[in-house]
Amino acid sequence: MTKILASTLVLLLISSFQGFSQKKAEVWRYEGPRIGMDLSRFLIPYMQKGKRNGWEIQADVPYKGNYFPTFELGMQWFDDKRDGFHYKNSGTYARLGVDMNIVKFESLKDHDLVFIGARYGYSAFNQETDSLSYSNYWGTVNTSVPLRTMSAHWAELVFGMKGELFSNFFLGWTLRAKFPLSVTHDPNIKPYIIPGLGKTTTDVPFDFSIGVYYRFPIFRTKKLPKPIKVGGTKHPGGNDQNNLNNQGSYDNGRY
Amino acid sequence: MRFYLFIISLSLITLVSCSDGNGCYDSVDTLMVTSFSVNDSLQIKSLVIKGIDRNAMGDTLVNDLDSTLTKRYPLPLSLSADSTGFVLEVNGKKDTLYIRHSMIMMFISENCGFAPNYIVSGIRHTAGIDSVKIKDTKVNPQSKEKNTNDQNISIYFSSAAHK
Repeated sequence: MTKILASTLVLLLISSFQGFSQKKAEVWRYEGPRIGMDLSRFLIPYMQKGKRNGWEIQADVPYKGNYFPTFELGMQWFDDKRDGFHYKNSGTYARLGVDMNIVKFESLKDHDLVFIGARYGYSAFNQETDSLSYSNYWGTVNTSVPLRTMSAHWAELVFGMKGELFSNFFLGWTLRAKFPLSVTHDPNIKPYIIPGLGKTTTDVPFDFSIGVYYRFPIFRTKKLPKPIKVGGTKHPGGNDQNNLNNQGSYDNGRY
Repeated sequence: MRFYLFIISLSLITLVSCSDGNGCYDSVDTLMVTSFSVNDSLQIKSLVIKGIDRNAMGDTLVNDLDSTLTKRYPLPLSLSADSTGFVLEVNGKKDTLYIRHSMIMMFISENCGFAPNYIVSGIRHTAGIDSVKIKDTKVNPQSKEKNTNDQNISIYFSSAAHK
């Protein structure tokens, strides 16, 4: 009798372990806030004239699968010594906006994004010019333009991609068109570079950034985000196999 | 496939973004365009212009010995004082002209640097000059590109005043 009971218990244990291992093999989609750093800020000093240093952190959170409210914060120092003048500029900037994924996720594990987005940007900075010299028939003037605190507002249109290199680590780039809205007026010098906005020598400056990101996998779900309908047409991928589990719900903290 | 697209587009954009403009293509010479005309039968046979307190050799700004009714020259203004004086020698007779102005240095571009921008606020002259009219008070690097009928100031001479 005890032998029968013992063998029954062993069978029950084996079957329960099998059940557990089957549960472990289930595919979940993990989502969560993503934080990263713009690597291009470190590359720019080697690509452009003038000493231009800075850093920028970027963060986004997923909203309804395809939308990513985004916040970016950075600082920049610029020091440009030319024939006839020495220009210095430094400041802090922030951008707030949203990215929208425009391609279909192919599976629950697919987190690669191709996105368009918009930003509002604000920069508080100061600039000064010294060693300013100019010569004409009457002689040479040596002067300076004193330190002045300024601010700028602008809007951005963003296009970019983010790819998951390996679990929760992303590499991405963005191309941005920037539209200055207002810049504090300085009678002597229009700032030719604004932290976060870039060079103002063109009406619509373009910028390019490369970033690395880490996603904190706080949420899990079996629901694949529905592709965004562009121009009112229904996306053909809306009923594929990946959506069979679309009734799943988010689990908070169960990772 | 998407990964390869990602890498290709990243490489292309990186290559394109490496370009950085070079060279100064804007004017940084700030000169006040001045015309010299006659009001009557007087003919300007010669015109010599020098800056006051700049009488050393080689400091003659203009030495024009051609006979014409109207002459037009761009003149530099002082960088350190709030007025600029010129000696105008028309047909051998000397007169003086003082231009009162304010000046600030304005940024042109990162490759060109700065240039002075003036606002002309007043004129003083001796009796040999009939009259002076300020046509455009703003003197900046674009002033010298004014067309031939346009100038910052016009100076008129007459037989009566030029005796």
